[in-house]
Amino acid sequence: MDAFRKIDIDQYDEDRLDASELYEADPRDPAAVLDEAKQRQAAVRSTLARSDIPGALAIVLENAPYGPNVDDAKDVTLQTLLSILNSTKSTEITPAIKALTPDAQDTLMKYLYKGMALPGWGDISGSVLLGWHEKLTEVAGVGCIVRTMTDRRIV
Amino acid sequence: MAPQVFQLAQTPVTSHAFSADRNQVCVSFNNNEAQILARRGNEWAVTDTLTEHDKIITSIDWAPNSNRIVTASQDRNAYVWEQKPDPETGALAWKPTLVLLRINRAATHVRWSPKEDKFAVASGARAIAICSFDEENNWWVAKQLKKPIRSTVLSVDWHPNNVLLAAGSADLKARVFSAYIKEVDEKPAPTVWGSKLPFNTICGEYSSPSGGWVHTVGFSPSGDILAFAGHDSTINVVYPSGPAVYSVRIPSLPLVSLTWTSENSIVAAGHDCRPLVFSGSEQGWQESGTLDDAKSSSSSGSGFGGAGTPGNADVRGQSGSGSTSSDTKLTTLHQNTITEVRPYEIVGGEVAKVSTSGVDGMLVIWDANEISALTSKLGGARLG
Repeated sequence: MDAFRKIDIDQYDEDRLDASELYEADPRDPAAVLDEAKQRQAAVRSTLARSDIPGALAIVLENAPYGPNVDDAKDVTLQTLLSILNSTKSTEITPAIKALTPDAQDTLMKYLYKGMALPGWGDISGSVLLGWHEKLTEVAGVGCIVRTMTDRRIV
Repeated sequence: MAPQVFQLAQTPVTSHAFSADRNQVCVSFNNNEAQILARRGNEWAVTDTLTEHDKIITSIDWAPNSNRIVTASQDRNAYVWEQKPDPETGALAWKPTLVLLRINRAATHVRWSPKEDKFAVASGARAIAICSFDEENNWWVAKQLKKPIRSTVLSVDWHPNNVLLAAGSADLKARVFSAYIKEVDEKPAPTVWGSKLPFNTICGEYSSPSGGWVHTVGFSPSGDILAFAGHDSTINVVYPSGPAVYSVRIPSLPLVSLTWTSENSIVAAGHDCRPLVFSGSEQGWQESGTLDDAKSSSSSGSGFGGAGTPGNADVRGQSGSGSTSSDTKLTTLHQNTITEVRPYEIVGGEVAKVSTSGVDGMLVIWDANEISALTSKLGGARLG
């Protein structure tokens, strides 16, 4: 293909709509977001030690990092979440999901899709993610999946 | 009363608008023609075909008092149709008048203002054309609302004061504009949306937390509340003086059209194939059920196959699905996406009946007060 076909013509459009204009940016400093993610990781560990799955999920899914410049915090959060998902017995999944707020359910769905897009990353297990996906869809409906697709606050 | 179901065609009904007496309906079957159908008992017969557009008609509105039809199309034009006697035979025929929209993208949605002296045309040109009649030249001229629209405008709705206009757009925003035209409008009284209202004043800008194109907007009957629904499967209700925005998540597929039935209730429908009812007040809003009680669907004998049915099990992430390939009928009455929901009958200031048109070629008239609880959260997308 000729080089000119690879030019991003949108950059010359004065009226272009950038992705960053489509959502409200996180006002927090990236370093603070990373600190918070690490604190949550510790909090989740101690909550998991008490086998409190709903509590652990609520901690990690609240104020989840989104947007640019917080990739490290996103990785820590995904790791933390995976540690919860992988250690939950299948019979405990549905009650844990039902205990979440609708906001947290939507965020959980975002992470399930993020995990499925990163095969082989960390301790991702496809079958665990699909198991959670099935149960979450039963509780929150396909609307929850639709919101994962439309929400620009990508985790 | 059970819903009245009319299978108008086997092709999508993109838009529908009833005449004031409800004995005629103007529809477009996903092509460049609008057809006027007259009711004969339980059937609808074509009486006129409006041919002037050369691309798909996207939206139709029928003004109840002046009996004028306006059509908008992907060909970037709108026409106003009036019934006039033919100079030779004297028979009444629908004649088009050109509208100078001055847009370079498709017209997507059109609505007459309450006084029927203006209409608004939404478009893909990041603009809304506010059209009024120019007596001197015998055509309709447009003044454009442009700022701060960043993408295609998908829907518009007029405030009862004939001046304010709500618009939903693909830039994820619902906005309230002033569409005040000096030559047409008297100075409007102050409302909750503002008091000084020159043309293109932005009286409010709202979006849903989870984003999504705003497919549909609507003012409440008083004009004091705004509702909008978008592609994130939410419906949002705005109290501007609150200031509160209630966002109701729905478990099913996105809504694309809504209509208020009273100050406290909304009927909305879309990709889930059935009309949902939402109710609330300044204290909060929630889903209160559906007009489709799922029994009605079994009585309608149409074997029209619902597109989008096969594969729903995959969409829902179900590992085991019991549906067979021959079982393609949805449990809802509409067998595909509902394209538009509109008020049909008003009793004592409240909408008693609503009409819906769908991609399945159906036109359905529903009793707005026959609300049944949702049995399955997934509607059109059935449990396997």
